[in-house]
Amino acid sequence: MIPSPRARNGLVALFCLGVLLALVPAQEIIHRARPEKFDPTRLQRTSMVGVGLTPALIAAMGGFRPLAADLVWLKVDQVWEGGSWWAMVPLLNAVVELDPKFELAWQVYGWHCAYNLHAESNTALDKNYWLQKGIEILERAVEANPDSWRMKWELGWTCFDRAHELARAAEWFYAADQLKGAPAYVSRLYYRAYEHLLDRDGILRGLAYARARHRDDPKHQHLVTRDTNFWRTHWNDPQTHRRVIVEENTARFQRGIPPYLYPNDAYFDVCPVCGMPVPKSKDAVCGNVQCPNYKRPIHREPAGGVPSAA
Amino acid sequence: MSPIILRVILVVSLALIVAAVVLSRKTWLPGIGHGIPSIWRIAKITVAEARRRRVLQAVIALVVLILLSMTFFSSVTPEEQAKMVIDGGLAAIAVSGILLAIFVAAFLIPNEIESRTVYAILSKPVRRFEFVLGKYLGALIVLAAVVAIMTAVLVGVLVALDHLIKDQAGSVFNPNLGSVVFASVMSYFSLAVLTALIVLISTVSSTTMTVISAFIIWGVGSAQSLIYGLAEKQVGATKLLLLVLYYLVPHLENFDYRFQASNFVPINLVAAAGALIIGFGYTVVVLVVASVFFSDRQV
Amino acid sequence: MATAETVLQIEGLTKIYRSLFTPMGVKAVDGLSLTVRRGETYSIVGPNGSGKTTTLKIVLGLIFPTAGSTTIFGKSIAELSVRERIGFLPEDAYLYDCFSGEELLDFYAGLFGYSKQRRSALVEELLTLVGMQANRKVPFRECSKGMRQRIALAQALVNDPELLILDEPTSGLDPAGRHQMTLLIQELKRRGKTILLCSHFLAEVEEVCDRVGIMYRGKLVAEGNLSELAGEPEEVVITFRGLDRLGPDAIGQLRDRIRAAGVEIASKEALAEGEEGPARPAPSAVALLDSAAGEIRLPRAVEGKLWQVLQAVRDAGGEIVEITRPRPSLQDIFVRAIREEPQ
Repeated sequence: MIPSPRARNGLVALFCLGVLLALVPAQEIIHRARPEKFDPTRLQRTSMVGVGLTPALIAAMGGFRPLAADLVWLKVDQVWEGGSWWAMVPLLNAVVELDPKFELAWQVYGWHCAYNLHAESNTALDKNYWLQKGIEILERAVEANPDSWRMKWELGWTCFDRAHELARAAEWFYAADQLKGAPAYVSRLYYRAYEHLLDRDGILRGLAYARARHRDDPKHQHLVTRDTNFWRTHWNDPQTHRRVIVEENTARFQRGIPPYLYPNDAYFDVCPVCGMPVPKSKDAVCGNVQCPNYKRPIHREPAGGVPSAA
Repeated sequence: MSPIILRVILVVSLALIVAAVVLSRKTWLPGIGHGIPSIWRIAKITVAEARRRRVLQAVIALVVLILLSMTFFSSVTPEEQAKMVIDGGLAAIAVSGILLAIFVAAFLIPNEIESRTVYAILSKPVRRFEFVLGKYLGALIVLAAVVAIMTAVLVGVLVALDHLIKDQAGSVFNPNLGSVVFASVMSYFSLAVLTALIVLISTVSSTTMTVISAFIIWGVGSAQSLIYGLAEKQVGATKLLLLVLYYLVPHLENFDYRFQASNFVPINLVAAAGALIIGFGYTVVVLVVASVFFSDRQV
Repeated sequence: MATAETVLQIEGLTKIYRSLFTPMGVKAVDGLSLTVRRGETYSIVGPNGSGKTTTLKIVLGLIFPTAGSTTIFGKSIAELSVRERIGFLPEDAYLYDCFSGEELLDFYAGLFGYSKQRRSALVEELLTLVGMQANRKVPFRECSKGMRQRIALAQALVNDPELLILDEPTSGLDPAGRHQMTLLIQELKRRGKTILLCSHFLAEVEEVCDRVGIMYRGKLVAEGNLSELAGEPEEVVITFRGLDRLGPDAIGQLRDRIRAAGVEIASKEALAEGEEGPARPAPSAVALLDSAAGEIRLPRAVEGKLWQVLQAVRDAGGEIVEITRPRPSLQDIFVRAIREEPQ
């Protein structure tokens, strides 16, 4: 039966409208499953054009973002070899904006800010700025790659090694270890953070957790057993406590980070200024000759005030 | 958009589809058996015609050369090299696929009308929509063959590099071949949607306008997330306009799995299935409209 | 009015092309009505731009009329069952040029849903019919014009159609090619096909068609079989010879004898421009003497004096070669019909 043109057009319009409307909720589902957004205003276009990356910019606008990211990444390598560490920042930003799944780029970006630029900075303010920037970048990396253990591990490591935000680092190591592909050392780093905090409950909890993971990895089990035995033996050894405190606060001092004040240690208090351990007593004084609080009681307000705790 | 609104939209849409199908069953049901062989024969001759033209072979040869030249990224680490070869290879396949899709589809029906070869076909018991579908199916087969060849070459390059680099001490290339093939297949489906839209435009406008429109649609369709991002920042009429554009233009970005392929990121199969369903639905609508336009076109 | 024998019926067909530059529109076909009966060969003739091809395209459903209707076998062309019974040869053989004749015929046969065996048999039969067996594998673009037309005709016959529509089948062919095509059309006619033919090669149309429709500026200005269109012969032509060896005065003597027989006669040379003024047709009751061709044309009005004129020629010493009563050619009819149309 051949319908009249008007009837045919009406039926076609009805059908097409129905199908197009059905696509709206389907598109919403996809949008929620893949919420990738690209905001070209976040690319520092002037910097990119200034180093001859206009083709990459054009490729980016044309939808070939991974390829554009690769072109910029090659440029990053060139700039690094040339020693222009500061110029790498907008380029690395462009790489991760163009290809948010490029984990290596996120790692390098975060590391470069938190380590290289932090070290290159002259003032405490600048150092802190670049350290926090590195952490912020890695937080963005985690948000962009929620299923990646590597991003969470990198954030945890930066908190642990560079910012010395040990409790936070432990959380990130734990989170990283929940994801597929995380190697065994991540679970060991979880209790390592608590070791640096001399948090006994945390250490025991971490050791038990690490032992329960990777049961078929003999090396991992051996290391966990070794560490468990160490703490069983040395928890009550004041020198072990002292060594941990000295290591941690020396590193903090070198990075310009305020010392950690170890509130629950059984054997030592720490100087609020230099963080060095002092055997527990009512009249304990700081014994660090380099400390401004040298030979002053550590339980009284030190000269210059107490620096803020980590 | 709130879940309630989405549910209402879904119910209304299903009602409209069912109503249209039921009301029109007396028109399409009787002819269904006849239509498929005609569509297939027209598709076959379209493929045969494309094979005999030299342009396809030239494009494939060019892309194969580009893919082989990807092996020259040797100054970076194996992981980075893997990423660059995959990104570059998939981009080459995408670009050549898009160019082929545009130039094959834009000339598909207008060429037949201009050379008047359509007279001998439409005077036979072939309905106009069968002609449109047959030409479209032929174009799809041609594109599938080209994309398959280029993907095979890319996979070959990656496997060869993998062996080469594994032979050297300590290097592991480890390309994610499954994701690469998946990304290429999804890229092909985006071409299928684009081709349908180009066929629609070609039924009502000149070849030049069709080619220009096709590039514009491809550009906008590849920037869906950008449009959505812009729409979120706007209010009022501008926001509505951007959202209409977002929903109306084919969502080619849904089919973009190049990030996943080169970064070894797990693929969200729900999203992929959704993309295919949307692409299929969109293509059906476009081809139905194209058939209606062509049915009314004076050749 | 359509009957069981009516294959094609066109009623009041009008097609107006409108564009930006011609908002009022150009009438390509203007109120055309015609009928083609089963088994007959109907030819539409007309100059370029008269609307022949437009009419065919509307009949085939390739373009759509502004007004009027066409039916084939009593049904609309939109119905597939109708298209299964017709074949169409387009002007200039527009077929895919990268395929051979064999491949093209196989493709078009496939559109009718024939099985592989049936297609093979059909292709053989058609290639034989059109004389293309030896060149079956030659790509279409490498074929001569004549070969292309033959393959195109073969594709029109692939479904053994009852109605064959041929648009300028001899266009672009050399005389040998035109002759071959004409023979083929005659063979198809002999096989009982109904043929609708469009052409402006009037000589070939005269050889094959039963009825002719003359189109001019979109209108059907004349229609009928050749006899109807030609009407009664208007003159008798007497062909003679031998008078030239009797001397220069022999023609003058013949003229005098014919006048003596009571028939007014003028010489063709005298009517030509220069001697007695501008060239003018002879009056209807005046015989015309063409001494160069050796002909006397006796109009119908003085046909009764035929024997006297014959006697006069013999008395003048001439020899009668032939006496004929020629019908006007289609060309003559065509020119007359167009001339009679208001400009």
